[in-house]
Amino acid sequence: MSFEIPERHICGFIGPNGAGKTTLFSIITGAFPPSAGSIELRGNDVTGMKAAALVKLGVARTHQIVRPFKAMTVLENVQVAVHFGRQPIAATAAAREQAMNVLKLVGLEAKASSLASVLSLGQQKRLEVARALATGPDLLLLDEICGGLTSAETRDMLHLLQDIRERGATIMYVEHDMKAVMAVCDRITVLNFGQKLAEGTPQEIQNNEAVITAYLGKPVPGEHPSA
Amino acid sequence: MKFAPGFLPWVLLAVLIILPALGLSPNITRLLFITLVWTTTSIAWNLLGGFAGQVSFGFAVFYGLGAYTAALLIDRGVNPYLAFMASAVVAVIASFLIGLPTFRLRGPYFAIATIGVTEAVRVVMSNLSITGGASGFRISEHGPFRQVHHYYTALGAAAIAVAISILVSSSRFGLALRAIRQDEDAAAGLGVNPYQCKLWTHGLAAALTGMAGGIYARYAGYIHPQGVFAFATSISILLMPVIGGVGTVWGAVLGGVIFGIVEEELVANFPQIHLLLYGTLLILIILFEPDGLLGLLRRLFRRYGRDSQSKEADQALWGRSRLEGREL
Repeated sequence: MSFEIPERHICGFIGPNGAGKTTLFSIITGAFPPSAGSIELRGNDVTGMKAAALVKLGVARTHQIVRPFKAMTVLENVQVAVHFGRQPIAATAAAREQAMNVLKLVGLEAKASSLASVLSLGQQKRLEVARALATGPDLLLLDEICGGLTSAETRDMLHLLQDIRERGATIMYVEHDMKAVMAVCDRITVLNFGQKLAEGTPQEIQNNEAVITAYLGKPVPGEHPSA
Repeated sequence: MKFAPGFLPWVLLAVLIILPALGLSPNITRLLFITLVWTTTSIAWNLLGGFAGQVSFGFAVFYGLGAYTAALLIDRGVNPYLAFMASAVVAVIASFLIGLPTFRLRGPYFAIATIGVTEAVRVVMSNLSITGGASGFRISEHGPFRQVHHYYTALGAAAIAVAISILVSSSRFGLALRAIRQDEDAAAGLGVNPYQCKLWTHGLAAALTGMAGGIYARYAGYIHPQGVFAFATSISILLMPVIGGVGTVWGAVLGGVIFGIVEEELVANFPQIHLLLYGTLLILIILFEPDGLLGLLRRLFRRYGRDSQSKEADQALWGRSRLEGREL
């Protein structure tokens, strides 16, 4: 499998369960070492680099299963990313202010002093995005940030993605919600069993035979689909 | 309840400075001295075990190396305070040598590795000829023995430990340690380097523990590997912050004070089973009050309705919120 991510694009990654979307993210962000192949960031080899080092180069991710620091406040959660992100801010007051700005962006400013453990799932997903965003990334890998959200929450989240891109970041986006992916992505890559199945604009993907087969299965010959 | 804990440490320090002038008996001074030494190690352990959540059973290594370094140097006529600094340096070097491989392990695996290291060091020290091997080492220091000097040295060390602990807990480094304690991978994903943070914290804790070991050795005048390098020493150092309230500045202090005062009586009255008592105590605390005595005190405050919901006061007083103690 091989692909490129153009700058300032939102690139969707879809595929059936077990296709390897999250694994792909984990390999890119250094959680698992790749067994073969290479990853380049603007022409520089970053294969197998650790997560903390990648953050300094402007790569950050969210986790499909949220991982907030539960015993910290929402603000402190984001503060960690500001203190240790790409352009670390050492002073506490300045870091808190910056963290607050990011919370405003994702709409969590009212929860700043709550413990992260009391947030709803939707809020925790937004906190994941806020933390990743607060590291100051050029490339943001978002793993199912809309999973389990209500449709209103999903809509807000998608607006947020477009906002982030407007600010100059590139986004790799894994999501099961087809409508969300189709609505927001510039390009889509389809994975199946660890292989790239197809690649193109949302339009092209929607009409791709191979993709339809992978998701829905082959029609049985001689049987009418509507029967 | 409005509570401004900021001035309390100063009051405590002032009382401890004035105390000897009030004419304490040598026995009480000795007890206070030992308590201050223990408290220093308790605070040191809490930096790594409490703030960063890395439970080590290996602090006897730093305590023992600090004790032997100071002993050897003082015996050769080196200024004791320089010797204590050397103790800290030797302990820091040891902490890096131990930390570099063991911090590749996580959780219980790290804890088990530290047990192995302690035992190995104890066996080596028992057979090393320049330190007198298993029969121990006697320090001959020139000049009169002034108990109150030892007391003030120990008080200074404990004060330094508290100051460092407060600085760490309120710094961005301390925030990183809390993040590592809760979710190491998530912390790394935000740019924190857990491996480095743990190494530095280990080094800081080792420096304080080594210094405490050196101060103890000078006072005791005689040390032996079965004492300072004993597994029981590691357990004692771990037990204190757990008793007091792990992960908080003042819990470690409280635990050190209580342990220092009670320990001698326990060893004297129950020489065969005092370790059994520690074990039982440890289990009881982990089962019923993981936040230690500080957690218990706070619960009582709450019960009697004076501290309503002020999270900020909580943070200021205990250094963290209650939830964190559950995640050791």
